[in-house]
Amino acid sequence: MLELSGVSYRYAGYSREVLHEIDLRLDDGEIVGLVGPNESGKSTLCLVASGLAPASIGGSLRGTVTLDGEPTKDLPTFRLAERVVIGFQNPNTQRSGVAATVFEEIALGPMNLGLPVAETVARTREAIARLKLESIVRRDPQRLSGGQSQLVGIASLLAMRPRHVILDEPTAQLDPAGTRLVGEALRSLAAAGTSLLVAEHKTDLLDGLCTRIVAIDGGRIVRDGPTTDVFDDPALHELGVEPPARVRLARALREGGHDAAVLAGALGTGWS
Amino acid sequence: MILAVVMATASAARVAGRLARISLVVTLPIAISAVLVSVFTRAGAHVVFTIGPFDATAEGIDFAGQTLVRLLAISTSIALFGLTTDPRSFVLDLERRRLSPRFAFVALATLEAVPAMVERATIIAAAQRARGLDSEGSVRARLRGVLPLVGPVVLSSLTEVEERSLALEVRAFGKPGRRELLWRIPDSGPQLAVRAVLLLALVAAVVARLTGTFPQLP
Repeated sequence: MLELSGVSYRYAGYSREVLHEIDLRLDDGEIVGLVGPNESGKSTLCLVASGLAPASIGGSLRGTVTLDGEPTKDLPTFRLAERVVIGFQNPNTQRSGVAATVFEEIALGPMNLGLPVAETVARTREAIARLKLESIVRRDPQRLSGGQSQLVGIASLLAMRPRHVILDEPTAQLDPAGTRLVGEALRSLAAAGTSLLVAEHKTDLLDGLCTRIVAIDGGRIVRDGPTTDVFDDPALHELGVEPPARVRLARALREGGHDAAVLAGALGTGWS
Repeated sequence: MILAVVMATASAARVAGRLARISLVVTLPIAISAVLVSVFTRAGAHVVFTIGPFDATAEGIDFAGQTLVRLLAISTSIALFGLTTDPRSFVLDLERRRLSPRFAFVALATLEAVPAMVERATIIAAAQRARGLDSEGSVRARLRGVLPLVGPVVLSSLTEVEERSLALEVRAFGKPGRRELLWRIPDSGPQLAVRAVLLLALVAAVVARLTGTFPQLP
């Protein structure tokens, strides 16, 4: 379980806090979507939840962040890395720059954990298979497209088999097929008991993936509830978050005087 | 002798042309100043020619020649190493030989930094050209065009370094202790023999120099 209690955070050199009194809990096997407009604090919340802020980037934190009951402030970063990983928006900076091939890039994390070679190779192969990267394993990681780099970055995190995964816009550079692959990989991780926090603008991905959605604005949680409830809330649109296509279509049907429930019944989905 | 060995090795590796070009470019600025200083300021009994108040002596020309050869020996050796050694394989092998992974990373990041910055500068220059920046034409025009790019290149590189260090921490890079490396670089018998010979030659050179067997610069 990953839990933030009364967390406020201020970056080093800033006079004002960018997160205010955040209470957030991720249970094992739960996928929580994080939405909000630009500059709302999503990336900062991801950094704080991962323990990197303030441990690595400085700043000051009030409140507590705990990993499986243990406060993150008591853990050195390499111990944090054994339990929680974070994927950043820019796949190019996710790359180590020291690996000659995609395979070695993905294997770097397990290697750093000090695992035996056989275990490192097994984890690497598993991550490669999950994201269907077999065709590029011998390629130079510096010569990949943005989408390929993003998939390699995510595979690099999955190979560490963490208990908790935090992803900051993991599909920003992915095409629909790549986005689907990531969705499937995350779903199978959750099924194995991993908790996930996914910050995304693509609400369609979150809609099919998450059990819960947290909306953040101005560094505060403004909505936290089941996915359908949060996405159906008209107030979300006012925050600058575009609801998933399902919700927009249902609204359009209603506004056109049609019965969205009939279509929902026909499609067998949770339309509203 | 060193120059001959380096050039012969470069020919065998088919990089002699590139080696000569790189060495000349790197050595030229230092060589010009070293030659001028040696030829015109070194005291000697045999004046070969005079320019204004400066006498070029035979001893100075001899000294300049020796300095030039030494500079070329150093620059060609380093350039040959750079042209024939894959930096990643080199650092990986150092780590296998018990070099700290952190040190290995720093060494590799340093070796990779220059091409990465050049690539970044090319991308930023292309983006700025697309927005009308003039970076071609006369030297002055190019300078005017290139100077505004320095800031973005340096700043974006610094930002990237910070993000990359975070990403490495996430992947347990700071964990103490040894890592089990995935592969070993093939090390053939002849390579081993050449290394042993070079090591012996190094020891012999140091001893010869200390005992005065090797001539020193006058």
